[in-house]
Amino acid sequence: MDILTLNHVSYTYGRGTPFCVDALRDVSVGFEKGKITGLIGHTGSGKSTLVQMLNGLLKPDEGQVLLDGADIWEKPKEIRSVRFRVGLVMQYPEYQLFDETVRADIGFALRNMGTPKEEIDERVREVAGFVGIGEDLLNKSPFDLSGGQKRRVAIAGVLAMQPEVLVLDEPAAGLDPRGRREILGGLCKYREKNHASIILVSHSMEDMAAYCDNVVVMRGAELFAQGTTVEVFARAEELQKVGLDTPQISHVAAKLREAGIPLEGELYTVDGVAEAVLKLLRGEGKA
Amino acid sequence: MKELIRCEHLSFSYEGEGSNVIPALRDVSLSVGAGEYVAVLGHNGSGKSTLAKLLNLILTPKSGKIVIGGREVTTPDFTEDDLFDIRRKVGMVFQNPDNQMVATIVEEDVAFGPENLGLPREELRRRVDDALETVGMTAYAQHSTHKLSGGQKQRVAIAGIIAMMPECIIFDESTAMLDPMGRHEVMDTIEHLNRDRGITILHITHYMDEAARADRVVVMNDGSIAMDGTPREVFSQVERMRALGLEVPQATELLYRLRREGYDLPADCLTAEECAAALKELFSSRNIAE
Amino acid sequence: MISDITLGQFFPGKSLLHRMDPRVKVLLAIAFIVAIFLCKYVLTYALILLFTLFLIAVSGIPFSTILKSLKPILFILVITTVINLLFTGGEGEPLFSWWKIRIYEVSLWRAGFMALRVVLLVIAASLFLTYTTSPIALTDAIESLLKPLSYLKVPVHEFAMMMTIALRFIPILIEETEKIMNAQKSRGADLSSGGLIRRVRALIPIIVPLFISAFQRAFDLATAMECRCYRGGNGRTKLRCYKIHFIDVFMLLLFSVLIAAICLGNRYLPGIVGWGYSL
Repeated sequence: MDILTLNHVSYTYGRGTPFCVDALRDVSVGFEKGKITGLIGHTGSGKSTLVQMLNGLLKPDEGQVLLDGADIWEKPKEIRSVRFRVGLVMQYPEYQLFDETVRADIGFALRNMGTPKEEIDERVREVAGFVGIGEDLLNKSPFDLSGGQKRRVAIAGVLAMQPEVLVLDEPAAGLDPRGRREILGGLCKYREKNHASIILVSHSMEDMAAYCDNVVVMRGAELFAQGTTVEVFARAEELQKVGLDTPQISHVAAKLREAGIPLEGELYTVDGVAEAVLKLLRGEGKA
Repeated sequence: MKELIRCEHLSFSYEGEGSNVIPALRDVSLSVGAGEYVAVLGHNGSGKSTLAKLLNLILTPKSGKIVIGGREVTTPDFTEDDLFDIRRKVGMVFQNPDNQMVATIVEEDVAFGPENLGLPREELRRRVDDALETVGMTAYAQHSTHKLSGGQKQRVAIAGIIAMMPECIIFDESTAMLDPMGRHEVMDTIEHLNRDRGITILHITHYMDEAARADRVVVMNDGSIAMDGTPREVFSQVERMRALGLEVPQATELLYRLRREGYDLPADCLTAEECAAALKELFSSRNIAE
Repeated sequence: MISDITLGQFFPGKSLLHRMDPRVKVLLAIAFIVAIFLCKYVLTYALILLFTLFLIAVSGIPFSTILKSLKPILFILVITTVINLLFTGGEGEPLFSWWKIRIYEVSLWRAGFMALRVVLLVIAASLFLTYTTSPIALTDAIESLLKPLSYLKVPVHEFAMMMTIALRFIPILIEETEKIMNAQKSRGADLSSGGLIRRVRALIPIIVPLFISAFQRAFDLATAMECRCYRGGNGRTKLRCYKIHFIDVFMLLLFSVLIAAICLGNRYLPGIVGWGYSL
């Protein structure tokens, strides 16, 4: 079952001017409920536009965006309610911080939703926990935090709405490996707790391989590929041809298979390749 | 090798809230030779950016000594003229490409530094053209800086530094905000500057795949130097790197896991080719490949 | 989209106007304003209109872009036209009369002239100063024209540098505003409903981050400039050099002729043709 579906969606920036650019051309794609779907593509492939379609920041020129089967633009005046259900974390979200305290900033969306005061406080503390922001930081000014902490507060500000679908544009960009793991791990926890679906935009193929169930690939304003992570990464050569890198480990696996070593399994994570190699080595040991 | 930069027992701390002092560097000693390509690796807050800012004299050390090109920069008789002389010799490329460009037209931005040096017009023209060619942006000389991609903007920023004819360029996480294509462009440019121009490179990053391309990797942790060696020496210490919150290349990690299972494999493979070759050898010694 | 606004955007090119010396262009822009305000009669208006069309033709900027640049002033245009139509009296029989509203023929002309003036002013200024002149060239020109003032201790270089930087960051800040608005809308911010006070309050989540980011950028840029050995205007040389070419002389002459023609027109037209509405 798909929670979000794009039905023949097209969008052009600057329509009717000499500067118009096609950002999406007849894109039909589904995002599976309860799963983590990765969205890959170059800068300018249309991914950012697609992301802004999902919570109604942009309205398709043609086609529909369906949330749980219903067109989100059926009642344009109620588009805000869609934004509460589809939480969007934009790239470098730390620039959205504005309030006096971390607590107030995380609670901003809840105040917009009209959530009762007591509940706001409780929810703020809960989501701060998901992203590893301790109780002691809640009364600080968000501007006194470190870069990584600011990022997490900003993400918590969207999680607070308890959206059914969470869309994140490069949530870990510019962070070191530990910071990446903490944020992506926190998102996985949130998903389990709230049975949410996640759509993750990232340039890091390693992260895609490690966290995503499904992958959607965009290229030149069009859909290039979609499927499970196994299916999409199996087309590593095609991906490389369109200039998208695959994890280093998949190159190792490809080279071994070329040499006639029959590796099998999830050959795009270190775990997967290690397992496949060990299976062969041990199988030989038993024989 | 001639020494270009030497730091002795360098310490620095930031003033925090109230009388709080946040130490950022503790007793760092480091020597960089002319023409070296050094990557400084470390997680956020490890002190690697502070080190860069000290070397470019944006910050002044609380204690310790910095010597650049034989000139000690931490003495009291160091004048403003000396300061600008050092800044010309040691250029710096920052993280956010938008926040380091002054002009709206590419070639005019590149000219900004040399213009400050007061060079005659013919020399300015020559240097700007040469710098743009070095970074492969000649075709964009008259373009608006605003419309460029992130990688192109960083290359223009690099050209702006090259036009001042520095001996050393410090890249302060200059790839952190770029997409993979932009990172490739900048990394290739850095390599070109080092190999073909002999410019000393200090590349500060937290991407281990970038660090692996350098001649030497310095790993920072908690304000001090935790490791210092060739990429092979550093990345072969998988457990140590993990403890420092860093990663190693996937190829290195795979062989590390297999070694722990008792297989005899090299520890210092960095590339997919090396790793695949090592595994092929292992398989063929056990007659698995046909 | 906010970034649709083209007012103040440079279009790189190699047209006649692009190749002119920016200092001459600044002078001509001023001359054009003078010329417009000298116009009094239909014929002189026609002359300056023709001249503007000529400028558009030689600028190589598409006509549609120029029309689009007028969008931001549409509001002012409508207001001034309406005021001119309704509230400036006239003599004789009104063309149209209803309740207390009377529209006279002369008001019609006056409103038309006024609108034309504003439109031509914006078009000429954009053509000379922004579309065909890079902001850097423009600041160079202003710096160079104001240079004599620096002997009076007026910080001309600093002023020019500030302008350059402001121009450089305007498109970036516009983009940033849009990004911040989207981020806050994604958190359910309602920017378009409620009374005045609510609307102003709703701007806080946008203005605060915008200021913080602008200060951060200013700080970063200052550091980067220092690292590139910037120490004020003293001893600085310039890559760009401007020379007066034939085209500059030609345009200066053409403008002199234009202004002379308008002056002559003002003097003699009433005697030659009996009509022509003056303001």
